[in-house]
Amino acid sequence: MTKPTDLVQGTLDLLILKTIALEPMHGWAIAQRIRSVSNNVLQVNQGALYPALHRLEQQAWIQSKWGESENNRRAKYYSLTKAGQKYLKAEESNWERLSSAIGLVLKTV
Amino acid sequence: MRWPQTVSHRLRSLFRKSAVEGELSDEMRFHLERQVEENIAAGMAPQEARRAAMREFGGVEQVKEECRDARRTNFLENLLQDVRFGLRMLRKSPGFTAVAVLTLALGIGANTAIFSFIDAVLLRSLPVKDPQQLVVFHWSARANPKRQSQSSYGDCADQTGVGDCSFSVPFFKTAREQAGTFSGLSAFAGPLNVDLSGNGDASIVRGLYISGDFFSTLGVNTFIGRPLAPFDDSPSAPPAIVLNYAYWVRAFNAAPAVVGRTVRLDDTTVTIVGVAEPHFTHLTPGKPVDVFMPFSIADRVRGEWWRRQDRLSDPAIWWVVMLGRLKPGVSIGQAQAAATTIFRNETLHGDAPAFKSEDAPVVTLRFARSGLDGETSQIAPALYLTMVIVAFILLIACANVAGLTLARSASRQKEMAVRLAIGAGRARLARQLLTESVLLSCGGGALGVLLAIWGVDAIGKLASRGSDQPFPFTVAPDWRVLAFTVAVTGLTGILFGLAPALRGSRVDLTPSLKENASSLPGAAAHAGRRFRLGDALVVAQVALSLVVLIGAGLLVRTLRNLQEINPGFDTQNILLFGINPSIAGYTDQQTQQLYTDLQQRLAALPGVLSVSYSADALLSGGWSAGSVHVDGAPPKQYANSAELSVGLNFFSTMRIPMLAGRNFTSADFAAAGATNAAAKSRDAAAAKTNPASSSAPAAPTALDEAYSHSAPVPVIINETFARKFLANQNPIGLHMVNAPRGDSEVPDPGPGYTIIGVVGDTKYAQLRREIRPILFSPLVSNGAHFELRAAANPIALAKNVREIVSQAGDNLPLTDVRTQTEQIDQLLFQERLMARLSSFFGMLALVLACIGLYGLLSYEVARRTRELGIRMALGAQRRDLLRLVVGQGILLVLIGAAIGVAAAMCVARFMTAMLFGVRANDPATFAGVAILLTLVALAASYIPARRAMRVDPIVALRYE
Repeated sequence: MTKPTDLVQGTLDLLILKTIALEPMHGWAIAQRIRSVSNNVLQVNQGALYPALHRLEQQAWIQSKWGESENNRRAKYYSLTKAGQKYLKAEESNWERLSSAIGLVLKTV
Repeated sequence: MRWPQTVSHRLRSLFRKSAVEGELSDEMRFHLERQVEENIAAGMAPQEARRAAMREFGGVEQVKEECRDARRTNFLENLLQDVRFGLRMLRKSPGFTAVAVLTLALGIGANTAIFSFIDAVLLRSLPVKDPQQLVVFHWSARANPKRQSQSSYGDCADQTGVGDCSFSVPFFKTAREQAGTFSGLSAFAGPLNVDLSGNGDASIVRGLYISGDFFSTLGVNTFIGRPLAPFDDSPSAPPAIVLNYAYWVRAFNAAPAVVGRTVRLDDTTVTIVGVAEPHFTHLTPGKPVDVFMPFSIADRVRGEWWRRQDRLSDPAIWWVVMLGRLKPGVSIGQAQAAATTIFRNETLHGDAPAFKSEDAPVVTLRFARSGLDGETSQIAPALYLTMVIVAFILLIACANVAGLTLARSASRQKEMAVRLAIGAGRARLARQLLTESVLLSCGGGALGVLLAIWGVDAIGKLASRGSDQPFPFTVAPDWRVLAFTVAVTGLTGILFGLAPALRGSRVDLTPSLKENASSLPGAAAHAGRRFRLGDALVVAQVALSLVVLIGAGLLVRTLRNLQEINPGFDTQNILLFGINPSIAGYTDQQTQQLYTDLQQRLAALPGVLSVSYSADALLSGGWSAGSVHVDGAPPKQYANSAELSVGLNFFSTMRIPMLAGRNFTSADFAAAGATNAAAKSRDAAAAKTNPASSSAPAAPTALDEAYSHSAPVPVIINETFARKFLANQNPIGLHMVNAPRGDSEVPDPGPGYTIIGVVGDTKYAQLRREIRPILFSPLVSNGAHFELRAAANPIALAKNVREIVSQAGDNLPLTDVRTQTEQIDQLLFQERLMARLSSFFGMLALVLACIGLYGLLSYEVARRTRELGIRMALGAQRRDLLRLVVGQGILLVLIGAAIGVAAAMCVARFMTAMLFGVRANDPATFAGVAILLTLVALAASYIPARRAMRVDPIVALRYE
């Protein structure tokens, strides 16, 4: 099992940003989504998830709003800000470049 | 642009703290509950579901803390929290807090006070406009210039080579015309004591001669009236003066009507045209001025000093200090080169060349603040030494409080362990402890500032005691003092807090959490490690205080040595006062008459045994010297000696023994007076016919004849003179003439001197100086200091003396009324101040070190109560326990003393110049101080040792 903390620095941020790019989500759902989309490979630890969310919010990439959850409770929903969308795009292309570069190295050598 | 959002977010986290905290909890709770629901949906029992969710989540509080960290407001928040908590902790142990704050306050207060003095004396900029543009002229050369006379008034410190900052007025005028590198060039000289009358009783004031552009060059304005201007500085201008603000307030009660009033300076009526701005307190630091007078009245006010010399036009009289203001954009180097060119032009190729070209005279410009260092350079060493002493005090205080904090942090081990266990980081704990230290140092700093204000006042009073002038430097806190105090306070907090903070946060969890930590072997080992640091702190305190005490010991011995010097005369029960009839307009004849009259009237006072007078009071710092040629000695072999003119009965009044020959008689005074009169009329005539170049030889006149045929002046020499210059001769009856002046090789054609007696040696100007040869001559002109030998304490006579003097001559101000012992005290003022300050700080250091030692040992005893109980139960005698505790104390003190002695040997070498009659590594002082320290430390360890002896083994063991 890969722990998120072992991910490349900044990867968790990228996963979170990408996950909430479609719609606002609360923390638990973000963790669930990442897990299910990655076929249970990526399990995001809460101890890392929430500090990451607060950090991203502090950096104004994402914003939060209290809303009604699917089970009718008050939950904190996170969504991308405009700056966050730009940042996500930049980070995505960064990641593409990086992973394809790593892929190239792994294939050729 | 993300920052508005970032900032508002951060502000919200900071100021809506409870809301943000609530949301954080809600968020976590929601997550958990959502997970529980999920687990139940997956088929778990509710309780099992909850447990699984919790397990998966991990430490809720830790996650929260990390979220807070992520919000980055933690730092401030934590700080506030730390401060609040720290204050609470300090309030909980008031004894510790009080001792720590007080100790730090002493350290910080002493440093702030002494730094205030350093600031006032050495750092504060001159109170003029743009002082950084102001430069002072200095000249230097390879050989002494040919000057007719040279005066300096202590504006520049003595240089090592040839050179100073006195120039002639003609050079100043030439430089002012030719130098294009200055936007203003002015000169000043003095201050001189002048007699001011026309405003109540006549009084002596300090008058500074200035050139007309002095005020404009300095950029100083007047508070009321107008400043002196170039038109005031011309011989035809009506005499005008400007008052200094402080003098105006003191002498004229700040009356605005003073502008336009006339007063008399010496014998000249002058108009007060203005009062200088309040902030213009001084020019050369430490030399206060009362009135500013233009050079143009120099021949009328205090003109008698110069006789026939015309100091305003003679290029051979160097006596003024030159101050220039650099033009914007002109570097000091450029201005210096230009000034040197002018200086060489004048002194090499002028009418009366002062130098040969191989002397290579140059002018150096120095910034006014550092260039006008005449007064400050004398007290600077003492100030720096005191600063070092108080820095040591602060270090001791730091070590002391660090020791206290360490002992306290040992008793807080459990608290630290609990905090660590519930998730605090070690860095966080260290920060908490450090915050508490800084809090303590802030408290100490605040209290220290109060102490400093009091201390500055007290030292200022101490420093001005024995003189009628207030402390001549303005000591007031400014931004530099403030910054210094803040920096010292902060550094102190970190310095003494760091070690305990690091140590305190390194707690071993398991043993510390157990009920009685100190009784466990592990904890004991741990504590052992801790106390190696505590021991080191006590050793450091002992070493530092030993250094301070040795410094104090050396200074005290210096003072005692100086006080115990036999000055060669009886210093007890003598009243001194000075008068100067010549500046009040008396002729020499009238002066003689007045002195004789005063001598008789004063001697008739009840309680007065005898009365005499002399040009300078002995041991007052003032002196004059000259060279004579003894008849029969090889040509060009001159006897250089100090000179003192004295009144009738001087030697009997001062109780200086007559060793050979006879004393002065009234006939001697008459003869000396006649010779003096002949010399004066010759000089006056010469000045009339040949005013400018008095050095040029003129044909002998009838007056010259009269002078050279007048009777030789009878003189008395002291024993050293006889031994040094007249060995193997009978000095009585020997004839001497003045050594030639300037570079002439022909001895003075005057009547010369005849030795009529030899008296015992006395110290003259200073106690520190070796006894010099002295030539005593009858006093026939100028001011004098009277000496009254009384039967008992003579200070009660002062009132009668004033009455008699005012009866004998109106308009005669008395100066410096004091007893001879007060005079000596004044002479030893700096030594006494240093001895007192250093003793005070030495005692303080000793007390602090002993508190440190006492605290450490007390803590040790408390910590080892159980061990001591067991030892007693096993048969140890009280004596053994005493030895155990005191032994530890003595060991620490001995180590500290050894280090301190070594350190003091290094440090004391820098004090050599201040010492007298005691070597910097004086074994007696070192041994004495070390013994004193050990004894006091022994007492400090005895108290905790007694507590150890009183340990009841049963109680100690049951205590567990």
